[in-house]
Amino acid sequence: MAQYFQSIYNAVSTALVGMSITIKHIYRKPVTLQYPDERQALPDRFRGFVHNDMAKCDSCNICAKLCPVDCIYIESEGKGKERMMTRYAIDYNKCIWCSMCTENCHTGSITMSHDYDHSVYDRRSLVYEFMDPREGTIPCHRATRVDTGWWVEPKEDKPKPKPKPEVEAPAAEAAPPVEPVVDEPTDDKGEDK
Amino acid sequence: MQVLTDLIRSIPGLGDMSELAMHITISAIMATLMFIVMALCALIFTWMERKVAGFLQSRYGPMRTGRWHGWAQAVADMLKILGKEDIIPRDADRAMFVFAPILVLLGSLLAWAAIPWAPGFVAADLDLGLFYIFAVSSLAIIGILMAGWGSNNKWALYGAARGAAQMVSYEIPLALATIPVVMYTGSLNTQDIVIAQQGGMLNWFVLRDPFLFVAFWMYFIAGIAETNRGPFDMPETESELVAGYHTEYTGMRFAFFFLAEYANLFLIALIAVMVFLGGWWAPIPFMDFLPPALTFIIKGVLMVFLNMWIRWTLPRVRVDQLMHLCWKVMIPVTLICVVGSGIWMMVSGQAG
Repeated sequence: MAQYFQSIYNAVSTALVGMSITIKHIYRKPVTLQYPDERQALPDRFRGFVHNDMAKCDSCNICAKLCPVDCIYIESEGKGKERMMTRYAIDYNKCIWCSMCTENCHTGSITMSHDYDHSVYDRRSLVYEFMDPREGTIPCHRATRVDTGWWVEPKEDKPKPKPKPEVEAPAAEAAPPVEPVVDEPTDDKGEDK
Repeated sequence: MQVLTDLIRSIPGLGDMSELAMHITISAIMATLMFIVMALCALIFTWMERKVAGFLQSRYGPMRTGRWHGWAQAVADMLKILGKEDIIPRDADRAMFVFAPILVLLGSLLAWAAIPWAPGFVAADLDLGLFYIFAVSSLAIIGILMAGWGSNNKWALYGAARGAAQMVSYEIPLALATIPVVMYTGSLNTQDIVIAQQGGMLNWFVLRDPFLFVAFWMYFIAGIAETNRGPFDMPETESELVAGYHTEYTGMRFAFFFLAEYANLFLIALIAVMVFLGGWWAPIPFMDFLPPALTFIIKGVLMVFLNMWIRWTLPRVRVDQLMHLCWKVMIPVTLICVVGSGIWMMVSGQAG
């Protein structure tokens, strides 16, 4: 009999505890964000869609080689100073957002953007072409680029090589693809779309 | 219905209506009005339920449809449900399947007739009003059983069997809890019950004596079980039975069940207000400037809110717990309330 009353007491008191908890939530500000209107603040190193700044890219192919899923397609023609980039595309069907390409890009052209809501109707449209075929090809060599007006010297780029490789600076200038690791810590800051 | 009679008589050309014609006209008007109120309360309470559920869980609920807090969500849902294909399963018992939703809706619509909205404003001023309400709302049980059997679906049959068992059981404490009030009033007429509570909160039956206070909560819990909601939604347990007895229903027929559910929700709340919470009387006498019907409806909506609050807080009980609660707890307690209020009436000299 005592257990009977005990169970009734427990039922009522625990129900009241639960109800007092839920009623407190009515006075709380809802945690929901009204998504298309309000957006969550993204962390600085958020890995959104990979973006490549064609003005900086020199088609060194490091990103394409490093990519574990081979989702970056780079095509170029010609040799030496005459080498021209004809295609730069990223297949987001394959991309795993591992950030290997951005961490190893020596010009800082390829970055993780903060875009994340690209929905498409067809998976073929997830292959993003970064070059407009109507604009023709892009020279790969830096000297040729400067001559043809393709090279826009980024302001953030300049202080980078100077403090780090003081002695090796001329060597680095002569052969950019050799020292891919040097630029990595400042990459994120220097380039954002 | 003197108000309505006078109103119709005041229309030019209708002044010399015969008694029978007047009776039929008023019945038709009140039936239409009750149906509109039912449909409106289904619309408003679906929206309110989703908002209350949202805010109780620190979210918003519908926000997009219509400009302000998704107010048009229920309207959009209703329009969508009306446009759905009407499917009758091939092996269903056709007659039962078709007739069941109508019976469920009828059960709650009939009960609305005896709700006293304002002094003198009640569709059917019956001497057996309260008894009538409990009697006709049992019709829904037959409807639910027919729906479950007619669907030829095992989930529906399970749901219907559970629903019938639950509703039959909980009708006993539901009716027993109102007996003390009937003893105090000396009448089953819904108007008389409300009139007996005139004058401030302290004259409401909840606060008349401690047994009535307990009886009110017993009524409220039984009412939740009777409407198959809250922690007692055994017939519809969406995690066990797909949707219970209305699994196979689509479109308009499903809307009927839906309408009946929310109509019952409001009906149970209104009966609680009428029997225990002073009906149309304002809590404090100086608040009498509010129209009686408005006071009545506001109290009903508050009771509905309480019901939703419970629904979105407490987990569902098991079937055996449900039956234990009814037969071993609520029926004894309500019986004690009946006897206790009787003794209290004699001791305090209120015995009529």
